[in-house]
Amino acid sequence: MNKYTVINPHSKFTVLNTHVHNIDGVAKVTGRAEYTFDIKLPGMLYGKILRSPHPHAKILNIDYSRAMELPGVYGVVTGKDTLGVKQGIWRRYKDLCDEQILPVDKVRYIGEPVAAVAAITEEIAEKALDYIDVEYEVLQGVYEPLDAIKKDAPEIHEGFERNINVTRHIEWGEVEEAFDEAEYVREDWFKCGGQAHMCMETRAAVSSYTPEKKMTIYSSNQSAYYMQALMAGVLGMREGDIRILAQYVGGGFGGKFELDGAIFCSAILSMKLFRPVKIIYTREEDFIATKRRTPMFYYVRTGVKKDGTFCAREAKVFTNGGAYTGMGATALYLTGFFHSFPYRWKGYRYDGYRVYTNTLPSTSMRGFGAPQAMWCSEQQIEWIAADLGLDPIEMRRKNSHHEGYEVPGQATIASCGIDQCYDEIKSWIASKGELPANRSIGLSACGFMSGGIFNWFDTPYSFSSAVVTINQDGTVELHVGAQEIGQGSNTTMAIICAEALGVKVGDIKVHSGDTDHCPADLGAWGSRQTLMTGNAVKMAAESAKKQLLEFAYAQSGLNIVYDLDIKDGWVHAIARPERGEEFVQLVRKALRGKDGQRIIGRGYYTPHRKGMISPAYSYMLQGVEVEVDEETGKITLVDSMTAHDCGQPINHLGLIGQLEGAFSMAAGYGYLEYMPYEDGKLMNPNLVDYKMIRATEMPPANIAEIDTYEPEGPYGAKEAGEGLTNPTAAAIGNALFHRFGIQMKECPVRPEMILNALKEKKEAQEK
Amino acid sequence: MSDPINDPVICPVCGKKAKTGSAIDCARHMFGTGDKPHREWVNAQGLSFIDLMIEQATTPGNASYQILADAIEKARPKK
Repeated sequence: MNKYTVINPHSKFTVLNTHVHNIDGVAKVTGRAEYTFDIKLPGMLYGKILRSPHPHAKILNIDYSRAMELPGVYGVVTGKDTLGVKQGIWRRYKDLCDEQILPVDKVRYIGEPVAAVAAITEEIAEKALDYIDVEYEVLQGVYEPLDAIKKDAPEIHEGFERNINVTRHIEWGEVEEAFDEAEYVREDWFKCGGQAHMCMETRAAVSSYTPEKKMTIYSSNQSAYYMQALMAGVLGMREGDIRILAQYVGGGFGGKFELDGAIFCSAILSMKLFRPVKIIYTREEDFIATKRRTPMFYYVRTGVKKDGTFCAREAKVFTNGGAYTGMGATALYLTGFFHSFPYRWKGYRYDGYRVYTNTLPSTSMRGFGAPQAMWCSEQQIEWIAADLGLDPIEMRRKNSHHEGYEVPGQATIASCGIDQCYDEIKSWIASKGELPANRSIGLSACGFMSGGIFNWFDTPYSFSSAVVTINQDGTVELHVGAQEIGQGSNTTMAIICAEALGVKVGDIKVHSGDTDHCPADLGAWGSRQTLMTGNAVKMAAESAKKQLLEFAYAQSGLNIVYDLDIKDGWVHAIARPERGEEFVQLVRKALRGKDGQRIIGRGYYTPHRKGMISPAYSYMLQGVEVEVDEETGKITLVDSMTAHDCGQPINHLGLIGQLEGAFSMAAGYGYLEYMPYEDGKLMNPNLVDYKMIRATEMPPANIAEIDTYEPEGPYGAKEAGEGLTNPTAAAIGNALFHRFGIQMKECPVRPEMILNALKEKKEAQEK
Repeated sequence: MSDPINDPVICPVCGKKAKTGSAIDCARHMFGTGDKPHREWVNAQGLSFIDLMIEQATTPGNASYQILADAIEKARPKK
């Protein structure tokens, strides 16, 4: 049974800070929610994609004449049917727009699209792939970043010397002087694996192009606006001529805000055939032909004083970028930034190198580079505490961020509840008493952003926008560009709108996932929507409320020193709450007073003067109790406790769901979800061989929510649900360290690694 | 040594003043930008942009940035 406790709770709200079920929950559990998978259009064809069997090869010729002879096949497209645009999400930096989704002359990883077929059934389209003849000139491949930077390594992209894709440097303070002050310095090398996004809904799209030169695309994605703008770029169309629909999306986790083969190939086929075309990825395609969490090699040097005061840290990171940039350049920066979290360093230096290889491209994934950073950082800190004989919690506490701290040149911390997180985890550990001999506890701290400030997409729009329209019956239409992907975004926005306007959640109808009718918004990534779209929604609702209250004042005849408010659908003077009228009555009067024009409130949000990374940061500390079978090396998670500061919770049910989900994904990264490659080929692209944590393997996910107030967030709210992907792997590693004294430097930790480490330890002791 | 406040170092390629105006910040800017003109300028100083970068990546410390900072100082017009 999970335990959920709120520390420092506030009670000034009517709707917010309560337990609200997802507003789309009933539609989902009754099967009425229509995902891209469910879309059927008149005359629709089914598409399938032919993929490269080679990790690195030139495309010499593609002959699809035999496929066209197959009954039921309507058309085939290759790179020659496209504009050949090298696209990417880094529109401000053309060098980083490096991916032709249907390449014209060269393939760079196994699974890369080469051609796409449209036919009357999926089976015929699949069969037709066998009749497409592709002539390749196979090139030498390279699969690991440390091999790809060697002088004699094959060149993957022309002009990128030694295959270095992107570099990032972060530095503050006098690093070497700070190291000189240190009385103890430790160096370690770590290896962090990749991870599949593993959305319940695989990549999917239905594209329909009409002779009027308009394109409608149903797509499973994290940002309808990004899809619209990126598709306009690759198709040579105007954004306004493309409509993206994504009402229900079965998960994203950072893997669905770039173009993929499903959306691109279905659109190209539809343009060629003037018929709707649907492409749904199989699970295997989702594994081998989308993108993944970025694998990294991490060197960490840390200098501390003997009393545990942190002095300096230096990190050098090589990431396996795979074949294309994707969102990897941002992950490269964020891993370096969050590697410093949540601590104060007098001197800090980070050099990150993203290297092209002939493997599946890597990109953003829940945590955005921070899980890798924390795997290395939080284990090394635990080892340093042990080396120096210090209490690891108190050592962390004395070096932690606090309110008002400035991460030099990068960020200012306006709210920070980590100190109370230490207290909560200490209490939890103490409550455990003496553990059985085969169990141990590990812990790990971290912080995370509440939306990214970076505008690599070069949008001219506000980062978030919202429109509130009030109907004559008191119901409210809320239009947002925020993307609901299963995380409860629509519910969060409905709650904020209801709280600001003074009505019930049931009065709000949220419209999202439709670029024709919703304002532009950067979408669901980097934990941005609660803070950014939430601010826009609050502003829009407050604007509508202000317009209504102007009418209320005018008709009330109250002395102007009295304030009016709306709570729970009741418009009243704050000083005399019993005197007032129903919200709906006021709305009708206001409509008459505006010559029938509806009350419309508009809101927007773009961060300004909030540093380099994010407007706000969440904080957390997690403890996990781990059991290990010494004969098999099998890990079992027994219990967990997360102390978590997300500012002011908007919806406790949503928060609990997000934290549990993040924990399960983070645990998978820590000890289960292994992606082995051989010569560029993923060896386990299925859910039998790729192990994820199952419901029966989930330990209790106890939560102590530390309420703080974030001045930049709507009602004081900040990030929740992505940050908790960061600490768990290191907490598991630290539990193993405390149990056996072994230091795990590669994740995910597999049973054979534990057995080998125990064997090595035993041999060393015998010597 | 340059005076970052009164006489800040300007990037010899794009004319940008990097952060504090010091030569080492200019070196970081050049590595961070890393486009063809910046690479060519570094190579024209008798250094190898890519070798400096790999050296920076694979060894502790800041040696490559310092080497490039020295080259930037050396190439500054004499006043």
